[in-house]
Amino acid sequence: MAVVVEKEKEAVGTELKEVLVEPMNYIFGRIMEILTIIGLIAMFVPGIIYIITGKGYLSRDVVVKYWDLKASAFWEKVMGVKVFGYSWFLNHLSATDCLSIIGVCILAITPLISLFGAEIKADKKYKILIGILILEFLFAIFRPILMGH
Amino acid sequence: MALFFMTLGIGIVAPIAGVGGGVLFTPLTMAFYPFSTDFIRGAGLVMAMTSALSSAPHFAKKGLANLRILAPVVVVSIIFSILGGIIGLWVTNAFPQGKSYIKIGLGLILFVVFLVYLFSKRVEFPEIRHIDPISEKLDIHGMWYEPSLGKVVEYKTTNLLYALPAFAGVGFIAGMFGLGAGWANVPVLNLVMGAPLKVATSTSMMIITINDAAACWVYMARGAMLAMIIVPSVLGITIGARIGARIAVKSRPKSIKYLVMAIMLFAAVMDIWKGLHGLGLAPPI
Repeated sequence: MAVVVEKEKEAVGTELKEVLVEPMNYIFGRIMEILTIIGLIAMFVPGIIYIITGKGYLSRDVVVKYWDLKASAFWEKVMGVKVFGYSWFLNHLSATDCLSIIGVCILAITPLISLFGAEIKADKKYKILIGILILEFLFAIFRPILMGH
Repeated sequence: MALFFMTLGIGIVAPIAGVGGGVLFTPLTMAFYPFSTDFIRGAGLVMAMTSALSSAPHFAKKGLANLRILAPVVVVSIIFSILGGIIGLWVTNAFPQGKSYIKIGLGLILFVVFLVYLFSKRVEFPEIRHIDPISEKLDIHGMWYEPSLGKVVEYKTTNLLYALPAFAGVGFIAGMFGLGAGWANVPVLNLVMGAPLKVATSTSMMIITINDAAACWVYMARGAMLAMIIVPSVLGITIGARIGARIAVKSRPKSIKYLVMAIMLFAAVMDIWKGLHGLGLAPPI
């Protein structure tokens, strides 16, 4: 199950040391690495534009005025809505603040996709365990839609 | 801007002091900024998750962060992390003084973190005499190249059943208070399960990515995430951590560690005081 993925030589002069890393760990790390970069760019670029311009789904001035309110009261006061689910940002993707939250979504879904990748390379016992983890993670994402409150 | 500079400072000192950024960000922001505790915890989770996501892949590819250790413990902790997020938001939104309860709770947790940093021992290479049957069946093992020894180190872990309740508690606290909780993961992995210190630290990062990401969805579904707070915070700590990591490689003065622990203690006192003031049990600061 193990593959050679790394050869190190820093502490032993010119001697190469081979480290065996399991494919499921390697795939998990590789997917995570790529998606994290994408997520960070997707979060920072529109997020910085939003902070500089102050224009978005929620205007900067309004956010500053009410950011001391608890989340439910904030949304009722600012938008007159009760938030439960993801439509508050998914329905306003032309706004830079909501686009920035898409970056957070990419980051927050990164471990799930990494787990999918790892499962392909895992042995039977770990396929089951990682499969359970994936189901639990999917529950975290779809709970608001499934449970509706 | 103030938030950016605060998180930049946290990012610089955290690696030097050997603490996670989230454990400073959430209590300090609760103590000194006007934001709702909901938005602070949402930002704290994104911050802890992002920091862990930035370092975990490197450790996974080196063999230090290990899914064989992670999978059985996170199966339990992820559920408690989601539950922590749900209950944490319920407390602030269902009770008029909910945010005061959260502040007091966080202050108390911070005292525990302080004691953990002060007294808990770390064992570089724990000796394992007996491997429990479940760890044996799951074949929890790994290896990595240790430059300080100039050789490949192989290891196994044990006491999985004892570790599971601890990880359940850690997951709950992470979700409820918006923390990364590496301060709790590492001692459990190192001292209870017998994972070598480097493996424990690296696998803890991997655990944080999953626990905090799952809890993030709870906060997102409640609208408890504002780009206005998240972006400067994460940007600050991301830049700061890179500077801090470079300084930490060269020197790790003890004075910085003591300074950070003093700040942690101060934030704990402030959070508890503010919480008690919110309940009408203490005068304003």
